Amino acid sequence: MSEFKSSRRAFAPRAAQPQRQWRRNQNTVAFAPNAKLGPIAHTVIIALMIAVLGLIYLTQVTKTSFFGYQLNERQTQLDTLATERQNLEIENARLQALERVKSSDVAKAMTDPSSVEYANN
Amino acid sequence: MQLSSIFRAKSRPQLLALLLFIVVAIFIVRLFYLQVIRHDYYEAEALKSQQTKFTIAPERGTIYAKNGASGLVPLVLNETVYTVFADPKEVKDPGKIKDVIYKVAGGTVVEDTFKKDLLEDNKLRYVVLARQVTLSQAQLIKKEQLDGVGLQETTRRVYPEGTLAAQTLGFVNAEEKGQYGLEEALNNRLKGEAGLLQAVTDVRRIPLTIGKDDVRQPAKDGDDLVLTVDRNIQAQAEQILQAGLKRANATKGSIVVMDPNDGSVMAMANFPTYDPAQYSKVEDGSVFQNSVVSNPYEAGSVIKTLTMGAGLDSGAVNYDSTFDNTGSVKVDDTTIRNVEEDPIFPNTTMTDVLRYSLNTGVVHVLQQMGGGEVNQKAREALENYFTNHYRFGKTTGIEQAGEAEGTIIGANQGYGRNVRYANMTFGQGMDVTMIQTAAAFSAAINGGTFYQPHLVGGVRQLDGSVKPEAAKVLGTNVLRPDISAQLQEMIYQGRKQGFFGKFDPAGFRVGGKTGTSQVIDPATGKYSDKDSVGSYLGFGGVDAPKYVIMVRVLDSKATGGYEGTTAAGPIFNDMSNWMLQYLQLRPKQ
Repeated sequence: MSEFKSSRRAFAPRAAQPQRQWRRNQNTVAFAPNAKLGPIAHTVIIALMIAVLGLIYLTQVTKTSFFGYQLNERQTQLDTLATERQNLEIENARLQALERVKSSDVAKAMTDPSSVEYANN
Repeated sequence: MQLSSIFRAKSRPQLLALLLFIVVAIFIVRLFYLQVIRHDYYEAEALKSQQTKFTIAPERGTIYAKNGASGLVPLVLNETVYTVFADPKEVKDPGKIKDVIYKVAGGTVVEDTFKKDLLEDNKLRYVVLARQVTLSQAQLIKKEQLDGVGLQETTRRVYPEGTLAAQTLGFVNAEEKGQYGLEEALNNRLKGEAGLLQAVTDVRRIPLTIGKDDVRQPAKDGDDLVLTVDRNIQAQAEQILQAGLKRANATKGSIVVMDPNDGSVMAMANFPTYDPAQYSKVEDGSVFQNSVVSNPYEAGSVIKTLTMGAGLDSGAVNYDSTFDNTGSVKVDDTTIRNVEEDPIFPNTTMTDVLRYSLNTGVVHVLQQMGGGEVNQKAREALENYFTNHYRFGKTTGIEQAGEAEGTIIGANQGYGRNVRYANMTFGQGMDVTMIQTAAAFSAAINGGTFYQPHLVGGVRQLDGSVKPEAAKVLGTNVLRPDISAQLQEMIYQGRKQGFFGKFDPAGFRVGGKTGTSQVIDPATGKYSDKDSVGSYLGFGGVDAPKYVIMVRVLDSKATGGYEGTTAAGPIFNDMSNWMLQYLQLRPKQ
């Protein structure tokens, strides 16, 4: 296993960089871990990431399914309301049916006019 | 190198890694085969079990009538009802089910189910407990959470106005198919188009919204039709017809009221009638038929008006023509006579022909069409008017199932052609329906335009407005406009000077013609002296006709005259006088 330790190393001018000039007060010290992640750690991290992504996916899918149930519930409510409205329309139509109007108290109290006069201009 | 030496050369962890690699490789290859190579197959298999297709039932179109000037009234609506069923295998407490069903849905219970203890028969999986249960009843049953009991939604047609316009409307049978009348004729427009819902479902078959192949194609509901029929006119027509039949001791009759200026039918009624909500209880299936459109008959003397129109339009006679009425006329070897009480006098006018209903007068018109005698020329001319101008012998196309064509025998067909065509001038020897006759009469008096008689005036939109449907013109110049005006005047004068003129209120223009036709006795094949059909055909208005009414009484027992006068005429009078009031026409001073 790699160790996560850091060491202090001084950078010295390399032969490959002979032209590089170090100026006064320039920071020539860098800190870097001397241990690196190995292949197993990479695999575990990737597996974890996949698992997290899978979890996110599942959450989303479940959420979508939940919306499906909500939608279904709303549709059922809508159908029930439509049926109730339909029933009210039928009741309204029955109450206004000619036979019912004819047999109403108001209609029974009506009489035929004895004569009809037309007002002409 | 041998395999054993390879294993020996490797350390245990290396061997384990190798083994794992092989196993994983096998998995990967297998998964590749299943998921990539056989992808389509397994996807289809998976969808079969996950996905469900639902048919979204469209709502059948409703039917409205006009209500004078105050809008629309529904004649046919849909009501959602439920069938309560049980799966005996799942039923745990039959006693409780029986109690609940009888308590909640008493009148709609299927008695046999409980009498035969079908709920306890585990071999059955579906038994009906109650039919046509309303929403509120269904909710009460659902609340009880009865094991093994389910509800199945369905719809039924309801008729708030009861039997009103029953034959015109027709009904919808158990297979949800329109039968008779409008329901059958316009079944395709009324039934709509089913929609489709394809979705992944859960175990309870509840659609989820996760499938990428989900399809939601909404149903297209049927058209909500608005009829030209006016509820008040229709109700009045039915009432007047029924009262008129009672007066004449008749049991069968029909009436049609239409607007001659656009062919729209304002009322159409027959008696006897039936309740479309209880069509299954009807014993005599003939009452389902709308006789106005499906029962052709020899209309008798009402046809004289149309013969006169043909004579005037062809130039054979004119408004001032006269003829020598001797009471009979010989055509080939047959003598055609007027009826007994018709007067015999010379210089009889064409208006008198209509007023006194002279058979000899219309035969005279036919003779003039042939240059002085009934011959091929006369027959062909009359046939041309009857079939091409008045459109007899073909259906009108009114939105009614079972419309009959009637029969007009060709001018050069069969035997006794001259006699037949002479008889046709007064409506015998030809079969026409009432709707054909009323439509032809309308065209003859409205200036010469033949409008298709129709019942649908428009389609009701979702916002309650009505999208109108234009009247269809089937022919123009049925008669020339000036001839049409002359004919209208003659019919008006014929009624005014005749027996019925006294029944019309002053200031209105009401014209009409009686018709009494003999009926062929099926036993002898000859015209019977016992039975005859009474008809009346006329119009009413002030300056121009606003309505045309045709009445037919099939089996009148009225005494004191011919059926056209004693049975049909009074029905026309009552209806016409009521129409003048209802349309709020102002009489001329």
